[in-house]
Parts: sequence; C-alpha cells; structure tokens
Amino acid sequence: MRGGAPAARAAGPEMSPVGIQLEGVSKQFEHRVKGQVFAVRDFSLTVEAGEFVTLLGPSGCGKTTTLRMIAGFEEPDGGRIVIGDRDVTHLMANQRNIGFVFQNYALFPHLSVYENVAYGLRVRKQSTSMVTSAVGEVLDLVGLKGFDQQFPHQISGGEQQRVALARAIVIRPRVLLFDEPLSNLDAKLRVQMREEIQRLQKTLAITAIYVTHDQEEAMAISDRIAIMNQGVIVQEGGAEMLYHRPASEFVAQFIGRTNLLKGRVVSVGSGKVELEIQGRRLWLDTERADLAPGAGVKVVLRPEAIELQPLSAGDSLQGTILSRVFLGEKVEYQVRMGTAVLQVADYQWTHAGGLSPGDQVDLDFAADRLQILPGESP
Amino acid sequence: MAAAGGQGPRRIALEPALLLTVTVLGALLVLFVLFPLATLLTRIFVDSDQFTLEPLLEILRASYHRRAFVNSLTLAALVGVCGTALGFLFAFTASRAKLSRRWLTALDAATLLPLISPPFIMSIAVIFSLGPRGLITYQLLGITTFSAYGLHTTLFVETITYFPIAYLTLRPILATMDPNIEDMALSLGSSRWGVFRTVTLPLAVPGFANAFLLLFAASLADFATPLILAGSNFPVLPVQAFLQITGMFDLKGGAALAFLLLVPAVIVFLLQRYWVSRRSYVTVSGKVGPQTAIKSIAPWVRRLLVGACVLVCVVILYLYALLFYASVVVAFGANHAWTLRHYQVIFTDGLNAIRDTLIIAGAGMPLGGIFGVLVGYLVVRKTFPGKHVMEMVSMINYALPGTIVGIAYLIAFNSGPLVLTGTAFIIIACYTFRYSPTGIRATVALLQQIDPSIEEASQSLGARSGTTFRRITLPLILPAFFAGLGVVFIRSMTAISATIFLVSIGWTLITVRILENITELSLGPAAAFSVLVVVIVFVVLALISAILRRFRVPGDTAVTSILGG
Repeated sequence: MRGGAPAARAAGPEMSPVGIQLEGVSKQFEHRVKGQVFAVRDFSLTVEAGEFVTLLGPSGCGKTTTLRMIAGFEEPDGGRIVIGDRDVTHLMANQRNIGFVFQNYALFPHLSVYENVAYGLRVRKQSTSMVTSAVGEVLDLVGLKGFDQQFPHQISGGEQQRVALARAIVIRPRVLLFDEPLSNLDAKLRVQMREEIQRLQKTLAITAIYVTHDQEEAMAISDRIAIMNQGVIVQEGGAEMLYHRPASEFVAQFIGRTNLLKGRVVSVGSGKVELEIQGRRLWLDTERADLAPGAGVKVVLRPEAIELQPLSAGDSLQGTILSRVFLGEKVEYQVRMGTAVLQVADYQWTHAGGLSPGDQVDLDFAADRLQILPGESP
Repeated sequence: MAAAGGQGPRRIALEPALLLTVTVLGALLVLFVLFPLATLLTRIFVDSDQFTLEPLLEILRASYHRRAFVNSLTLAALVGVCGTALGFLFAFTASRAKLSRRWLTALDAATLLPLISPPFIMSIAVIFSLGPRGLITYQLLGITTFSAYGLHTTLFVETITYFPIAYLTLRPILATMDPNIEDMALSLGSSRWGVFRTVTLPLAVPGFANAFLLLFAASLADFATPLILAGSNFPVLPVQAFLQITGMFDLKGGAALAFLLLVPAVIVFLLQRYWVSRRSYVTVSGKVGPQTAIKSIAPWVRRLLVGACVLVCVVILYLYALLFYASVVVAFGANHAWTLRHYQVIFTDGLNAIRDTLIIAGAGMPLGGIFGVLVGYLVVRKTFPGKHVMEMVSMINYALPGTIVGIAYLIAFNSGPLVLTGTAFIIIACYTFRYSPTGIRATVALLQQIDPSIEEASQSLGARSGTTFRRITLPLILPAFFAGLGVVFIRSMTAISATIFLVSIGWTLITVRILENITELSLGPAAAFSVLVVVIVFVVLALISAILRRFRVPGDTAVTSILGG
C-alpha cells in the first residue's frame, strides 16, 4: 500500500457524493486511573450519500474519537470503516480524501490565508492556474474575498474558521468531517456560521459528519443525529423524532429541556394506557406493550407544552410558581408541583407580567404531549 | 478532547519515507555511537574472550576515585540547578521584561560569550583574578589566603559557561507561551507572583527538565575546567580518567573511570523522560488569539531582573576583557607593553590549524543540525519500535565525556570494517553525534509546545509525513533547528576533550594548539587564538541570526533568534 496522496482531481462539476459505513467499530484506551477503557464500543452507523449526520453527546462520550477514526487519525481496534466503496479502516488519513475542520482551526501559522487554502491543492500537484482559480472561488464562497495575503494571527476567530472551512472544501473531498468547529466562537457568530456550513454542504453536496455537544446546533444543521453516551449510540434519527420520541431518559434530557414525571399505570387498553400522575388520571397512546396495572413509568413533558392558568377548581394539576425569568422570545417559569419542580416555557406571553413567584396556578397540557419512555434497559 | 493517538507500529510500514528515515538514522546511530562504545567496553570488560570486572573493581577500590565519583555528581547537580536558574532568569527577562531590541541583542551577545570560547580561557582569567597574585584578590583587596582552586571556582566557571544552554532552551518556550493564559490567570484574581508560580513556571517545566539535563550532562563531562581549577582536593572523574590514560597509560583504568560517568547520565535522562512526558503542554495552536501585551511583571521586579542580568553580563565581560588584554600585552602579570606579536604568530604558525578547524566545523554544522531536528521530530511525533532506544542512544555521545568518545573512536576506527583515523571525517562524525543532542532537545521542547492538530490538518489534506515535516513542521521549529546549527558549530570550534585523541598530522585544531600554548606557558598566543575563535563564532552566529530573522514565523510574540532581532 503506497503512502501517496490521493490523485489530483480536476476542479470541475462536483463528483457525486458517497456514503459512509461504520460497522462494529471499537476503540480502547489505556486510562491512567481506570485502566483499559472503551472510548467507542461496537459503533455501527450508515450515512447516506450527501447526508449531514451529527454525532451528539456530552464530553467524553466518544464522538470525537469516532470522528478521528473516520478521518484516519486513530486506528480502530475492531470493526470496519467504509467510505464509498473503499474499505479505509487501515488507510492513513492522507489517503482517504477527507476534509477535516478542527475545533481550534489548526491553520498553518506561518502561511498566508491563500497558502493555507492552497495547501491541499499543492500537495495534489495541481497547476498554478488551477490553484489560483480554485482558491479564489472557494474564498469567495466562504465570504473571504480579498483576504488572500492575510495571516492567521491577523484575522478574527470567525474568519479563521472560514479559512479552515475553505481549506477543507477546496480539495473536493468525498467526506467533510467537523470536530466541534464552532465551539470557540461567540453565540451569534455560531448561529451565522452553522447556517453557512449547512448551506455550503448542501450546495457542494458533500457527505458530512459533524461532532458537537450543542444540541441546538445539532438540530439546526443535521439531516440525522446520532446521540452518543459512553462510547455507544443511544438513539439516532431526525431531530423531530428524537425530540418527540426520546428512547431514554438520557436522550430526553439531552435534547431540549424536559420535565420527567413519574406515573403509575392504572389500566391498560389497546395501544393506550391510563396513568395516574400526581393524583390526576389520563389516557395516553403508547407503543409499549409491556405495561401492566401498578407498573411505574417515567413520562416526558416538554416545558413549552405546559400552559399556566390562574388557579381554578378543575381537575388540572396544580402548583406554585417558584421563579419567573424573561428571556425575550419566551418566559420561563419554575413551578413546584408536589415534590417535583417543573420547567415551563411560555412562548405566547400569555400572562405578560401577570404571574409572579408565589402565585398558585393550574398546569394544563394536552394528553398527547406526554411521552412515555420505553422501559429502562439494565 | 480525546487523547492524541499515535500511529501504531504497523502504520510505520505503510509510509516508506518514514521507514527509510528511521532506518538510516538508526544505522548511523549504531555505527557512530554504539559500535565505538561496544569496542571500548569490550576493551575494558573482556580479557581473552572472558568477561571480567577486574579493571572496574580495581578503580573502585581507591577511595580517591570514589571521591571523584561523588564530587562529579555533586558538581553536576549544582551546575544544573544554578545554570538552569540563571538561564531562566535571562530567558524570562528577555521574553517578559519588554526590553528594546538593542538591549536584547546585548543580552544575547553577552550570554553567548562563555558558550563560544574554549572553557579553559575562563579558568585562566579566573586565576588571573583570584589567584595568589590575582588582580582582584591580591592587587585590589590584598588577600593572600584565598584559594582559587576547588569546588567554588569550578562551579562558578561551569555555571557561567553552561547557563547559556539553559537560556537557549528556555527562551523559545517562554517566547511561544500563549500570553492569554497568563492574562486569564490574572483575571481570575491571581497575583503576578501567583501567575508566575502557577502558570508560567509549570508550563516551562519541559524546558526546565531539558535544561537541567543538558547542564548536568555537560558538567559531568567537562574536564578542561576542572583540569585547571578543581585542584587535587576536589578530584572529578573526567580529569581522573584523562590522567589515568595519558599520564599512567592505563587505558582500561581510565575507561573504567569514565564508565562510572555513564550511569548517572542515563539515570538523569530516564528521570527527565518519565517525569516530563506525563504532562501536556500545548499552548501554541493554529488558532492565534488577539495578541495581548505581556503584563505579568511589576515594574520594580522588571528593574530587579534586568539589574541581575546586567550584573552577570558585567562579570562575564570583565573576564573577557582580561583575556583580550592578555592577548595584546607582551606578558600578562610581567610585561604590560602593548604588542601585536601574538596575533602575528597565530596567523603564520597557526594558519593550518585555523583552516582545518573552519573546514571541519563548517561540515559538521549542517549535518548536526539536520540530524538533531529529524531525531527530535521522530521522537515527539511518531511512534515506532525502538523509539525510546533511539532517543537514548542519540544522547549517549553527548553525555559521555569527550575523552571516552575520543578514545572509543580511536579504537573503533583504527582498524576493522571502517578505517577513519587520521581523516577529517572522524572528527566531523565525532562532533555531529556529540553535539546534535542540543538540537534534539530544543526541537523536542519546541515541538511539545506546538499543537499536533496542525500536522494532522496537513495530513488530512493529503500530505505524506515527509511533506508535512518539510512544509509545516520544519518552518515552525526553525528556531530549534538554528539553535542546533549554532551549537554544533560553536562546540566544533571550541571542543578539546575528544579532539585531542583524534587530531593527526593531516588535521590539527585551534583548541589543541591553545592547550599546547598553555602548557608551554606562552599565554599570549593562547589568548590571541581564543580571541580569534570568539570573533569567528560571533560572525557566524550573526549570519545565522540574520537568516533566522527572515524566516521568523509571523505573529511571534517575542524574539526567537539566537542573537536577538
């Protein structure tokens, strides 16, 4: 196997995108305290050609390690990685034709913006005229026209990020890999940049894998999200599915904010159950077939699904407002209900200024907004 | 962020250029480090095909020799500590005290002087100053009972001589340290002293460890200074080994004495390796934040630091003034009439030596520089079987007293597979493998400060290891490369302990002529030769510094070249 650079490709019409397959990929590390530890365990995922998939999870969940294995910076201890129709599991990073965008940008400090972007093309021995036109085109694409002769230390963080992006795109990689690229930017810039990244990915139709711990970012740009925890995928799917039908408490709490209520099964119907929650009874649709009367379940209720009303004599759940925070587009309340504290988000400004801490309220919600979590796995 | 993975052993096989480099470097190390050592050890420990400890035991039976062992270690440790502290003082002042360019140049020049001159000249100057009829003790202060010989003066001269190594090692590290980190510590409420203690110092630890190691090894191996200054009450191993061989013609005994030096050198190296390598010190990455002015020194501290540095520089300059004076008077201490006679002598009788020395130093410089950077890079960034061994072996010839290397080369290349005695090549090879470790250490220390993701970025863009090294890593470690170049050249110009066994009719060196002159008590020509060496080395360093200025990485917060500017 030669350790050569991938063959030079003409800067012509986009090549058709390729899919990625990870089959049973594992990676172990020697931890100084814990000994042999699985950073990634039996990871399997199929990414369709042109798809934008995000690996989402808390720090230490293995998402970066997985990404680095796809890139070729780490070698898996087990499993297979296939890009397109090539098994790249044992190929070096410089043979995989990938574009990698680092968290700290990793721009070459001694090279100008132009030279940074041109680097991959020069490695592929492209002619000067092709390099010039490709670099110019891609700098334009990321909005950095005229920045050619600047050096990394002379430009802002957002601009550096765009150079890193341009550098990865210009070589027309088969796959784009992003390692938390926006975490060093301020919030507004982050939103702006993620929209640009999404737009570019769609325009160029390059399959992309993105790693982040920011769930809002993940939801905004991905076609699909794979949530990871402790080295394994705990659930994957589109943002809406993950949000409305989380497979576990972990996912429910990681995506969006949520309230977890404990309920008890009173009776079971076909495709439905009757639950008792905090003294109130209601019928819910559910796919779970394993519930029997008396069983305990956990129920997810999103903050924005709860509507607060002044106290009434009806059979709604009731509580006391603990705090009220005005956040512009919404007002957030914390409401004590029995022993639980619920988060409530009011996007309608229903009670503009009307409710304050100490007030007693009704908590109204539609029964179909409750989501019963699947049974806990051992 | 996940721990940076290395490339497993099987990966190396996939990159032919890397494999080739490792093989070639390994072969060179085997031929020029291990092979001579092996032949020497065989000479000591093998008699009529049988392993014997007798020569070693015989040496250890003498209490004088055991004292020499303890003295050597004590002296080396003291020099290590004092030299690193002094080097850090200068490095810190140079990078933090916001000195003007002119000041920095002056600081650099003054600290360079001890490093670029033959060490026994400093010793002579000290004796001129502190001896029985010394300038300071007798003529200025009227003291006759102060002894200029012993640990105190040896320590003084060795510290002054070697602290620039610590300075050269520490300054690139302090210079490339991200000042935002110190700012952050200040913003968290830390006092300036707290910032220094908890941020600057710990981040400089790779440099400290490296510097201490270099200084310890240098002092351990130094024989010229103690030859003159240590006196018979403070025996040290290198001198004892030398005397055993050249005075008593006992090759085995002398070699055994020098063998005792190898053990502490190896231990210190292992210590440094497993202590320093446990921590991550990345503070320079591709993301270069807004440049913040370095604020962490209070003005009075700044004055104190600069004052201390100036004081040390004055002392150094005084010693050299003395040297220069001795080269332009007929006879120091006796006849103080002005004359240029001594210079005339060295440019006629000594022209051969001058020419030979320059050729050899010039040839060794690029070889040593490249070798140092390659080994340093492989050791930090790559994983391959035998990596630790390669690193250790590359240090061996530096750690060994020059005497031993000289004798080993003499024995190994006098016959057998490769005959090199009497050629320039044997001297060049000796210098290359003896003095490249400085470049290796500087490269290692600097690389530990550079984020590996920059090289990963290059890899992800399709570049092979060789291309990444050439176009990305090398430009960024250029300061270390030039430090390596500079040191190889300087040490080549000023070496004596190994060379004295390798010179021949065909090739003779300035330093050997100086020692001959000292022995004959013709101190005028000795001083003149020394001044010449100092001048040549300064000129070459100025050239390197100018070149370095052109290749400086944009965005450097402080000067990283050898001579400032």
